[in-house]
Amino acid sequence: MEDAAIIELYHKREEQAIAESNRKYGGMCRSIALRLLGLMEDAEECVNDTWYAAWNKMPPDRPASLGAFLGRITRNLSISRFRRDRAQKRYAGMEVLLSELEECVPSPGTVEESMERHALADAISAWLDELKDADRWLFIRRYWYAEPVKELARVLNEQPNTCSQRLNRLRKGLRAYLESKGLET
Amino acid sequence: MNRMDLYDGVTDIRDDLIDRAKSAPKRKRYKKVRWFGAIAAVLVLSILAVSFFGPGRGLTAYALAEAQYPQMAPYPGEPHSDKEFDAWWESILAQRRDLGDLSSLQDFFQNSTSVFLSDAEGRNKVYSPLNVYMALSMLAQLTDGESRSQILSLLGSGSMDDLRKQASDVWNATYRDDGALTSILANSLWLNKDIRYNQDTMDILARDFYASSYQGEMGTDAYDKALQEWLNQQTGGLLKEQADNLTMDADTVLALATTVYYKAKWDEEFSKGDTAPQTFHSPAGDMETDFMHQRQAQLYYWGSKFSAISQSFEEGGEMWFLLPDEGVTPQELLSDKEAMEFIFHRDSWENEKRLFVNKSIPKFDVASQFDLMDGLEKLGVADIFDPYRADFTPTVLDTDIPLAVSEANHAARVVIDEEGCIAAAFTVAADTAGAAMPPDEEVDFVLDRPFLFYITKSGLPLFVGIVNTPTE
Repeated sequence: MEDAAIIELYHKREEQAIAESNRKYGGMCRSIALRLLGLMEDAEECVNDTWYAAWNKMPPDRPASLGAFLGRITRNLSISRFRRDRAQKRYAGMEVLLSELEECVPSPGTVEESMERHALADAISAWLDELKDADRWLFIRRYWYAEPVKELARVLNEQPNTCSQRLNRLRKGLRAYLESKGLET
Repeated sequence: MNRMDLYDGVTDIRDDLIDRAKSAPKRKRYKKVRWFGAIAAVLVLSILAVSFFGPGRGLTAYALAEAQYPQMAPYPGEPHSDKEFDAWWESILAQRRDLGDLSSLQDFFQNSTSVFLSDAEGRNKVYSPLNVYMALSMLAQLTDGESRSQILSLLGSGSMDDLRKQASDVWNATYRDDGALTSILANSLWLNKDIRYNQDTMDILARDFYASSYQGEMGTDAYDKALQEWLNQQTGGLLKEQADNLTMDADTVLALATTVYYKAKWDEEFSKGDTAPQTFHSPAGDMETDFMHQRQAQLYYWGSKFSAISQSFEEGGEMWFLLPDEGVTPQELLSDKEAMEFIFHRDSWENEKRLFVNKSIPKFDVASQFDLMDGLEKLGVADIFDPYRADFTPTVLDTDIPLAVSEANHAARVVIDEEGCIAAAFTVAADTAGAAMPPDEEVDFVLDRPFLFYITKSGLPLFVGIVNTPTE
C-alpha cells in the first residue's frame, strides 16, 4: 500500500492503518529497536508503542515520508527506554552507538550548550549533504538505522576494519564541522 | 552538548536523507573480501567436566535418548544471495532468548569463580562457570530432596521448573554452529547397561538440557573409548590428553559429561608482522614470549586495582583482559569487590573512556584440570557426594542402590593466537596503565605480568582464567 493511502487510513481512524504500517515498516522499526536495545521483548514493545504513538500523532500530522516518521518514533522510544531502564538492563547496542556518537560531541565552548535539537539536526543534515554518496549512506545506516558495521561492510564490499576506520573519520569530520559552525547557530 | 543530544540530532535529520539511504550506494568493484577464513586466526578452545558415580556393570554403547540440536543456516560466504543471508539471519534470531533477570545466576558465577580460581598460586588455571552451571542443572534434574535443594539454592533457582527453563534458554542463547562461529555446550550421560533408568528423566534431559544418554557395559575399553571419542569430538580433539585419561570402572552407574567448545576469530585480527618477542614477568621468573600488538580506538576501563579492555570476536562474543595494577595479584582481584562487580555485575561503569589503546597481548595456551568436589562442598553442595544422603530417585528405578558422585573433574583449555608468527621490530612503550585516570588521547595496555581473562557470549561467562605463564 502507498504511504499516502496508509496515512489516509490513520486520518480516517481505520485500525487497518496499523496493520499496513506493520506490514510495510514493521521490519525496519523492529530492526532499529532490536539493534539498539538488543532484547527481543523490549524491542517488540517499542514497536507496538510506535504504532500507538503514530495513531496519536496522525491526525493532525501528515508526514512527507512515513518510513522516516515511524523510524524516528522508534528511535525516540528506544532512547527513552534506555534513559529509563539502563540501570537495570544492558542495552549493549545503544551503549555502543552512543559511545561512538560521543566522538562527534564538539569540545566545550565551541558550540552553544543549549543548541536546539532542530538546529543540531539541520547542521548534521547540511554536513551529510556535503559527503560523498557512500560516506553519507554509511553514516546514516550506522547511526540512524543502527546497522552493525559488519553488515555495512558486506554491502560496501569492504573489510569491517576499513569500514570502522571510515566511520571513525566521519565522526571526526562531523565534530570538526559542528565546531566550525557551532557559534553561528 | 552530550552524546544523547547527538543521538537526537541524528534522529531528526531530513526525511529525504533517510529515504535515500534505503538503497545501497553503487558497489565498488575492487577485490573480493572473504568474510571468514577457513582457518581461524584465533582459537579459543574447549573445556570438559566429567562427574562419576558409584556402583554397577554391562556391553556396547547405544543411545537411549538423543538431543536434537537446532539446525542453523550456514554463514553466508561471498558472494551470497539475499536469500542465503536472510536464511542465516533467521536462524540467528531463532537462537535469541531473553534471559531475564540474571542476578542470582551471576552470583553463582562470581562465587564459584572465586572458590575455584583462588588457589591458582602462580599456576595457570581456567574455569568455565557456564559448563559447571550446566552440569549442576543436570544433576538437579537427576536428584531430589535435599540433594536437589542444595543445587537449586547455589544456582539461585526457585524451582526445578524455573531452572529447566533457564538452562534451556542459556543453552540456546550460547549455541552457535554456522561455520563462522562455533559455540556449543554439549551434555551427555553414560549409563550402565545392567541398571534400569527412568526413561522420563532421560527424555527431559534430552529436551531441556540437550543431553544425549548412552547405555553400555561399564569397565570395558569399548565403552571408555566411546566416551573419550564423544569428548574429543565435542572439544575438537583439543583436550585429547585429558579426555584419554578418563575411564569408567565396572562400578560406575552413571557418568555425566559436559563440554563447552568455543572457536572464534578476532573481529579485528592482529597483524602477524607486529608480533614480536617480549618479556613476560611470570612468578616463576622472566620469560621471553610472543606478544601480539594492535592499536585501536576502543573503550578503556579502570578500577582502583586494575585496568581492563575487551577484544571482540567476529560474529559474537568477547574476550576481556583484566590487568592488576603493579603489586596486585590476579588472586587479589578475585576477592576484590570492585573487580568482581566489574566482571559479573556490570551494567554501566563510571570509569570508562574511549581512547586509542596500544595493546600488547601475549599469545597463550593455558590449560588446567582439577576436582570440583571440595569447591562445591564449600559452596553448599554436599549431599550428592555422600552415598547415605544423596537422593538420586528420579534417575534409577532400582532405588535400593546407594548412589553418590565420586569424582567431578573439570578440565579447561584456552588458546589465543594469530595465524603464523613473524618476528618484527616493535618498540613497546613502558607500561603506564594503572588506577589513575588515563591520559586524554591514548594509553598503553601491556599484559606483561600475570592477568585475568574471561570470555563471554550473550553476556554469559564461558571461561574465566588466570594466566601466570603464557605458555607452559
